[in-house]
Parts: sequence; structure tokens; C-alpha cells
Amino acid sequence: MVRLITHNLLACHVKGCTSNNFPLQFQDVQIELREADYNADFLKAFLPKLEWKALVDSARKLGDTSLPLEQPEMLDNDFLKNLHHVLLEVLSNRRYHLQLLDESPPRYMSRKGV
Amino acid sequence: MASRSVTSVTISEDPIAYENTHVHAIYEQIAPHFSSTRYKPWPVIAAFLSSLPPGWVGLDSGTGNGKYLPLPAESPGRVWTIGLDRSLNLLKIAKNAGGVCREVIWANVSDQPWRKGSFDYAISIATIHHLATYERRKQAVQRLLQAVSPSHGRILIYVWAVDQDDLSKREIPVVDDLSAAEEPGKDVFVPWVLPSDTVQTRQEQVFNRYYHMFAKGELTQLVSEAAEEMGLYVGAKSERAGIHRGIDFKQNGWERSNYYVEVHCWAV
Repeated sequence: MVRLITHNLLACHVKGCTSNNFPLQFQDVQIELREADYNADFLKAFLPKLEWKALVDSARKLGDTSLPLEQPEMLDNDFLKNLHHVLLEVLSNRRYHLQLLDESPPRYMSRKGV
Repeated sequence: MASRSVTSVTISEDPIAYENTHVHAIYEQIAPHFSSTRYKPWPVIAAFLSSLPPGWVGLDSGTGNGKYLPLPAESPGRVWTIGLDRSLNLLKIAKNAGGVCREVIWANVSDQPWRKGSFDYAISIATIHHLATYERRKQAVQRLLQAVSPSHGRILIYVWAVDQDDLSKREIPVVDDLSAAEEPGKDVFVPWVLPSDTVQTRQEQVFNRYYHMFAKGELTQLVSEAAEEMGLYVGAKSERAGIHRGIDFKQNGWERSNYYVEVHCWAV
């Protein structure tokens, strides 16, 4: 299980999967909630580097609609709290592209799915 | 009784198979005991992580038991470090490093399971020396360079040195037919002794882990070649025509039997 912040940084690295390989797709998804320390400075500085659309789409697929489709210009407290929750407190699993073999670390599922 | 000292080795088989046998399989077996001896962050690494601006995200490539994931200790949550390792048993420990749920992914340091340039920093501590050829070590450095932002990425790498601390308990084989300046790195086995009370058998077990011990200057050469092969300029930021991207060495030193470098990426 990884947080959505990590999901926003990972891409599929299966050989030949070089385009359309982000974000990783969910399958048979499970969700877990974990509290994390709230740090507004982190959120404000990280926000411009985030793949916003991927985050919002992924959150919606997991049933969380608290984030707007477009990044707001005003970073008020409510928005930052929602962002904190989605980014750092929602954990999900993702399906591996290949089974885990003795000598092969996991391959992540591509956008196209398996 | 099995040998406790460091011994020279020659790699005669496929390097990936070699690493699987002499590195990965061993860490899976010694993970809990290894982790119990690895809890104190090294000062240069702690200072590096404390120097990062808020909002930065980083990759710890070869995170092991995840001891750097909770840092900087004085301001938790100011940056987020994501751990990557090939050992599942070490990752199980890293997942809860410092008693908090951490972000970890299972992969090789030569893989690229991330969006290129998506990290602000990367650290690789005591990891690249487990790769069995120069090419594979160079590739691992290139993965770090690809993982971080080309314009502001920072990278810290630590590897084991041929020059050992007096306090170190290791005995290093001497190669006496080479001058110091030309002395290359050494491929060695470093024994890990698993005490008898941690295994079911009554006798202690010795596992020989493969290391490439770096010679003086070898790490900077490796990083420079890795960067140049990617078309990056090695040196301070330059406005000269034709130079768009580069890396600059900010730190280059030796600490406690290890060589380390800190490089900053730049783009114009």
C-alpha cells in the first residue's frame, strides 16, 4: 500500500511501456487510511510540482471528490487540509504487472492494464 | 570455522546472477539482524537531509531498513523520502521506520519505476558498491540523475572505500604491486556473522556479501562519466553557448571508511 503522493511519482517500467505509463492503474483496489503529520509548508511548496490531474483522477477513482478539477489560486486552509488528506493519508494498493519472481522485482501495471 | 576477514573475489559469472546470490539472497536472510545494527544516521547524511527546502520529495535508492526515511528529525513532514530496495525483508522493516508508516517500493536500483525528473533529491547510501560491474554501477548513478529534477535536483551517494578507518574491525587484503595513485577498487567478500541465538541451528552462520570497495577518486570518476554519457556538463553552472545542463560537485569526501559525493543538477 502506498500513499497517493507516491502514486503521483511512480510510473510503469515494464520493457516497452514508455508512453502512457503514468499514472499506475488501480485494480481490485483496496484502501487504507493512515493519519500523517500536517505540514502546510510542505504542501504549499510541493503543490506546483504535483501532477494535479493524475492526483484528482486517482482520488476520484478511490471515491474521494474533495479536490477541485483545477488547482485553486487561493490556498486556503480547507483546501490544504483536503490536499493533505488525499496526498498523505489515503493509501491504496496497485496491481503488479508481472508476478513476483525470484530474480525479478515487481513490474508495475501499465495504463493499458493486464 | 568460516573466515571472518575480508577476502578478494573474482566475478566470473553473469553480474545479475552474481548479485542475486552474493547480495540479494543474503540480505533476505540477515535482514532483522542487519537492521538491528543499523540505526544511527551518519552526520553528513543527516545534515544533507536537514539542508533541503520544505516541500521537497526524494528517493532513497537502496533504503535498507529505512533509517533515513524519518529525517530530518527536527522537522518531520517538511520533506518526504520514498524508500526503494531489492530486499523485501528489509523493506518490511523500512515500512515502519521510526514507528511511522513510510513509503517504500520494491525494485532494483537499476530500474526506473518513477516519472523521470519527479524527485527533488535522491540519496543512495551503501548500495552502489553491491553492483558487480563498473557498467552496472554507472547505470545506477544514471538512474539517480534521471530520477531528480534536471534543474535543481540534489544527489548524495555513499560507497565503501578501500581506505578504512582505524576503528574499523575489518582486515583488508593488501594488493602490493600497484602504486597508490593507480590503485583500483577491489572486489571482495565481506562476512556477515549471524549469531547462533538468531537462527534455529546451534552454530553461528557466516554469509559472504559481495562489495566493490571504491578506490580514491573512483566515485567522482564514476559519477562524472555517468553524467557525461547523458550529455551533462560536469562543473559549475555555465552560461556558455551550447551548454544547457550539468552537474556540480558540492561535496566530495571520506567519512568512516566510505567515500561520498553530493552533486547538484543545474540547467540554463
